[in-house]
Amino acid sequence: MRHTLAVRTAPGVAPALKTRSQNLYVITFRQLIRKRTALFGLGLIIVLVLTAILADVMAPYDPIETFVDSLMAPPSAQFPLGTDMLGRDVLSRLIHGTRVSLYVGVFSLVLAIFVGIPLGVVSGFYGGAIDNCIMRVMDIILAFPIFLLAIVIMVILEPNVLNVVIALGIVRIPIYARLVRGSVLATKELQYIEAAQALAVPDPRLLFRHILPNCMAPLIVTSTLSVGTSIIVEASLSFLGLGTQPPTPSWGWDLKSNLLLVEINPWITLFPGLAIFLTVLAFNLFGDGLRDVLDPRLKD
Amino acid sequence: MRQYLLRRLLSLLPTLIGVTLVVFLMMHFIPGDPVTNMMGEMFSQEDADRLRQELGLDKPILVQYGKWLLLLLRGDWGHSMFTHQPVLTDILYRLPVSLELLVLSTIVSLLIAIPAGTIAAVRPNTWKDYSAMVVAMAGVSIPEFFLGVMLFLLFGLVLGWLPVSGYIPILENPWGNLMHMVLPVIALGMPRAALLTRLVRASLLEVLKMEYVTTARAKGLGERFVILKHALKNALIPTVTVIGLQVGFLIGGAIVIETVFAVPGIGSFGIDAIIKRDYPQVQAFVLVGALIFVLANLVVDLLYVVIDPRIQYNAGER
Repeated sequence: MRHTLAVRTAPGVAPALKTRSQNLYVITFRQLIRKRTALFGLGLIIVLVLTAILADVMAPYDPIETFVDSLMAPPSAQFPLGTDMLGRDVLSRLIHGTRVSLYVGVFSLVLAIFVGIPLGVVSGFYGGAIDNCIMRVMDIILAFPIFLLAIVIMVILEPNVLNVVIALGIVRIPIYARLVRGSVLATKELQYIEAAQALAVPDPRLLFRHILPNCMAPLIVTSTLSVGTSIIVEASLSFLGLGTQPPTPSWGWDLKSNLLLVEINPWITLFPGLAIFLTVLAFNLFGDGLRDVLDPRLKD
Repeated sequence: MRQYLLRRLLSLLPTLIGVTLVVFLMMHFIPGDPVTNMMGEMFSQEDADRLRQELGLDKPILVQYGKWLLLLLRGDWGHSMFTHQPVLTDILYRLPVSLELLVLSTIVSLLIAIPAGTIAAVRPNTWKDYSAMVVAMAGVSIPEFFLGVMLFLLFGLVLGWLPVSGYIPILENPWGNLMHMVLPVIALGMPRAALLTRLVRASLLEVLKMEYVTTARAKGLGERFVILKHALKNALIPTVTVIGLQVGFLIGGAIVIETVFAVPGIGSFGIDAIIKRDYPQVQAFVLVGALIFVLANLVVDLLYVVIDPRIQYNAGER
């Protein structure tokens, strides 16, 4: 019942991309900037990344500084988005929360890619017992709903940002392993690979120079879209108290802790939620645009 | 067909072994020694050793796993560390609630997605298409719990139309049950509806380009008939696949949504157990969550064969 990822890797695209590999990125970028929604997503991502980097400069206050005489304050000139129940500036917490979300989104992806791709390559290229072994382990990971497995890992490890990254990275490894395995299987039968083998190109070079670049299109698209999902999962874990721990500012946790006082000040519940929504939207819009440009066949 | 069914059922075996192994090992990786936890503050080394022996914790890990599996099959899922209630009783009590939430939200998402996706595909690049796609994009980007919180605020607190927490058993009061489920079901169903709308639109657009559709039109069949009877049926095949792939996310979403709306299902039970560190309950929660996922995928696979007769039952392993 693996009719999904392997099918979607669209082997036909491979040679076309290969011959243009030098300017694939240039072409992609040119087509991308013609798509307004993708451009909007990209713009938003840039703003978010800058916010995360410059959080210390941009935030009006320290995100964990408490103003005891203005608890639960509504938005005002002093506190543009109000304060929470401990009297902390909501805007400053939102700005610093960008860091956690992006950090988790990006680094869990990096972990998944760095483990998943080699596994997929080895599995697809060598086949046989190694392939079987790796894929059965991947199957077990995939037999769990992503969120549930992340919860399991968070129960074993203690809840903090780094462990959320590890949990989200692990649950995504099989996705990349399968994706790459499918592409490798499709590519390795092509004639130019046979030609390279006839020229005695060593395996690693064959893999990284001739086979792997063909998987780039689906990889880039899947990765971009997965950042959004990871951010949602991190926020959900923190919302449940299993992710980022206070006082570190995290949108999910802030939403949860403010929920208790939602009747007094609904604003502070809405802002962290909106921040998550906009961030995920940015990655989805950009990922959608990338998909349309890089591989129309991946569209679903 | 029978052969396919048999093979599909057999393929469950390794999955189930893998899942139970992970759940079993999870308890071993949890920091802290269970015996020390159970003995409390004061205990002698001998008492601890005796308890260890009684629990079988001195045996090799595979033996422990086998014993645990046997107990599971016999219905002994352990007891809560705090209430000392049998865990299986708690689980069975809460399971129908979670299943109701999962099934209702899937139905709601399909009821929204199929018409919306069809309208968008039939009138591509019109305002109807654009508005459906904008809403769908927003829908796939919104975390369930945030949507849940907003529904909670709007319909529960501001308008006061619907109850925002708790649950009434369906047999006790079907109407009350439904009213309590409306908000959780919408919060869980909407993101799925959004995703499926995009999918139905895309696959219907693809199918409408096919030659058999042209043939149907050329025969003079009405457009409505062509779309509803000929095109939509094929366009829905990928939808079934994606519903299967989404079951995992659906279960994850249900865990969060049950917590938001205090729905007494498996999800809120599990999160409670984790916070209390009631490990037998945590174990049961993870096991049931994974089992629902595995079984849902089985159902989807079988459904897939039913709706698409082109799938060959005997077509090799992969």
